Amino acid sequence: MELPLTALREGESGVITSIRAGFGWGKGGGYGLQKRLMDMGLTPGTKITVVKSAPFHGPVEINVRGYRLAIGRGMAEKIFVEVQK
Amino acid sequence: MRKLKFALAGNANVGKSVIFNQLTGLHQHIGNWPGKTVERAEGTLHFKGYTIDVIDLPGIYSLSTFSLEEIISREYIVNEKPDLVINVVDASALERNLFFTLQLMELEVPLIIALNQIDMAEKKGIKIDLKGLEEKLGVKVVPTIAIKGKGIYELLERAVEAAEKGSAKPAIVRYGEEIEERIRRLTEALEKIRLKYPARWTAIKLLEGDEQVRREIYDLNPEILQLAENLAKEIEEIHGHPCPTVIVSERYEAAGKIARETQRILPRMKPSLSERLHEVTTHRILGYPIMILIVLGIFNVIFMFGGYISETLSNLLYEYEKIFEYFFGSNPLKEIIWGGIMEGIIANITIALPYIIPFYLILYILEDSGYLARAAFLTDTLMHKMGLHGKAFIPLMLGYGCNVPACLGCRIMETERERFIAGFVVTLIPCAARTVVILGLVGSFLGLHWALALYAINLIIVFLLGRLAFKVLPGEPTALIMEMPDYRLPHLKTIIKQTWFRLEEFLKISFPLIIISGLIIKLAEISNLLEPISNFLSPITVNWLGLPEITGVTLIFGILRKELALVILATLLGTTNFQEALTPLQMFIFTLVVMLYVPCIATIAACIREFGWKKAAAISLLEITLALSVGGLAYRVLAALNLLGY
Repeated sequence: MELPLTALREGESGVITSIRAGFGWGKGGGYGLQKRLMDMGLTPGTKITVVKSAPFHGPVEINVRGYRLAIGRGMAEKIFVEVQK
Repeated sequence: MRKLKFALAGNANVGKSVIFNQLTGLHQHIGNWPGKTVERAEGTLHFKGYTIDVIDLPGIYSLSTFSLEEIISREYIVNEKPDLVINVVDASALERNLFFTLQLMELEVPLIIALNQIDMAEKKGIKIDLKGLEEKLGVKVVPTIAIKGKGIYELLERAVEAAEKGSAKPAIVRYGEEIEERIRRLTEALEKIRLKYPARWTAIKLLEGDEQVRREIYDLNPEILQLAENLAKEIEEIHGHPCPTVIVSERYEAAGKIARETQRILPRMKPSLSERLHEVTTHRILGYPIMILIVLGIFNVIFMFGGYISETLSNLLYEYEKIFEYFFGSNPLKEIIWGGIMEGIIANITIALPYIIPFYLILYILEDSGYLARAAFLTDTLMHKMGLHGKAFIPLMLGYGCNVPACLGCRIMETERERFIAGFVVTLIPCAARTVVILGLVGSFLGLHWALALYAINLIIVFLLGRLAFKVLPGEPTALIMEMPDYRLPHLKTIIKQTWFRLEEFLKISFPLIIISGLIIKLAEISNLLEPISNFLSPITVNWLGLPEITGVTLIFGILRKELALVILATLLGTTNFQEALTPLQMFIFTLVVMLYVPCIATIAACIREFGWKKAAAISLLEITLALSVGGLAYRVLAALNLLGY
C-alpha cells in the first residue's frame, strides 16, 4: 500500500515509491527540494525506517542508508512509500 | 621549496574542520567568500620542504546547485584547480559519504580520502576493509581519528605523494548501459567545444538537469543543450522516472554497492551512550524541559558571566579617565579623545570579550556535539510560523540576551535567504540593553503589565514580519532536511581556534565602526549641534510620535548602545524620575520606538560581517521605518482609547 511517510508509525519501514514535490526543471530557483532529498539518499526504491516523529506536527526522523535524517513535516507528506510489514 | 594547494571537501559533521585545524594550527585566516555570506577558511602549513595552502571547503552532501556552498565548492575545484582534494569521509555513514566521493571523482580531481571517525564507526559495530576500499575507489585511503590527532601525519605524507603524482583517476561510476551510451554521445559533442569542466562530468550534469551547467552550455552551444534534453527524455521513457532521479539513484546505488562490499556491520545489543542521549533529548515530553534548561543555562553563562566581566572591565577601563584628565585636563581635546575614541575602544572590549567569546564557544559546542540538530528538531514547527525552520531557534533565543552574537549565529542556517530572514528577525528581538529601557522606564513607572505588553507586541511583530519576509523574498521554500549526527565530544582546540579567528573577523568591522560613530556623536555634542539636531527631528519626535523634543538626541545616542537612550535621557532631564518630564503615554511610545528602531552599532557591525553592507543597511532602514510607523500608530490608538491618560 502506498502511503505518505507521515502515515508510518515509529519503527515502521517502507520503500520510497515517489516524491511528489516540484523539480523546478528548467525554471529558476534551481533543482528544488526533491533534488536535495535525493542527494541525501532518498531515491525511489530506498528503504527507510521512521525513528521518531516530533510533537506538534514537527519533523519526522528517519533512518536511511545507515544514518539519521530529520525531515520537516510538510516535506515528509510529499514522500510516498510502500509499507513493509 | 615547492608550493602546493590542498582543498578539504566532504559532508557536514564529518570532522573536516578538526582536520583543518590539525593541519594548519594557528596559521589560518577566516573570512567570507568574495561577495558571499559563506565562510571561507584558509591556512598554511610547512611539511618536508613544501609550503601547503589548505582551504576548508564548506560541508556539503552533493556537488549540485542546491545551495551556495555547493556552488562555491564546485567553482573552487574547477577554477582554482587545487593540487589535491582531501575528501574527509565519515566512516560511520559510509554510503552517503561515498555518494559525494563519487561526484568528486566524476569531476576528475586528484583525490585522497581521509576515512575519519573510525573510532565512532567501531562503536557502532562498523568495520571497514581499507584495502578493499582503496582498490574499489582507486585512491589512497588513510584512516584517521582527527580529534585525537591520529592518522594526520600519515594523511599529510600520503597527500603530498598523491599531489606529486598529480594524475586524476578516471571516474569509476558506471551507469546502466542505456545511460552510458547517451553520456558517450553527449561527451563527444561536448569535447568539440571549449569547456572549463571535464566533458564527461558536464554530460552527466546536463542529464541531471543542473541549472548552472545548462545555462553555460546554452550560451556556448544551444544545440548541445537540445541534444541533452532529448537524451534525458529518452532515459525518462526507458525508466519511467525523471532523468535526474535515474542518475542520482544509480550513483547512490554505486556508492551503496561499494559500502556493502567493504564494510561489515555487527548488530549491537546495547544502545550506546550517544543513542541513549539522542533518545532522551528528542523525547516528545522530556525533550522540551531539557531544551529549556539548556537554553536557560546558556543564558546564565553568557549574560551572568558576560555581564559581570563586562562591568568589571568597564569599571577598570573608566578608571583611566582620571589619569587621562590629569594629563589633558578637562578641555574639548580630552572630550574628543576620551569620549570619542577611548569610549569606542571600551565599548568594543566590553562587548566583544565578555559576550561574544562565550557565545561562540557555546555555539560551537552545541553545533559540534550534535545538540543543535536536536533543538532544531524540537522547535521546527514553532519556527515555521515565522517562515524559518528549527535551526533558527538558538540564534533567536540568544537574541534576547544580545543581538550581536545572535546575528553572528545566523550562519548556521543553510541558504542565504534563510540566513537573511533569521538575521532580520533576530535584530528585532529585545536584547538585554533594550530590556533595561523597557523595565527601567515602562516597567518601573507604568507597571509590569505594560512592560509585558511591549514584549507581546514585539513577538507579534516578529512573527508577522518573519512571515512577510518569507513571502516576499524570492527563493526556495523553507524546509528542514537535516542530518542528525551522532552525539560526540567536541574538539576543544578546534572550537577555541574557531572562536578566536571569528572574533578577530568581527572586531575588524566593529572596531572602526563603533569608534567612528562615537566620534561623530561626540563632535556633534562639542560643537553644540545636539539641540539643532533635536530641533530638526522634532517633526518626527514631537508631531508624529508625540514625544518631547529632547528625545531626538537620546534616540541617536541609542544607536551606540540601546541603554544609552535611557541614560542620556536622564542626563538631559537632570533626573531619573522620568515622571516629571514624560507622560505615561510618552514613556510607552518612547520605549516602543527604542525597542524597534534600529539595531545598535555593534549589531550593525555583526550584520555587515554576516550579510554585507547592503543588507545591513536594508535591515537598519527597514527597522527605523517600522519603529516610526508602529510608534506613531500606537500613539494615536492609545491616545484615542485614553488608556494611558494624556
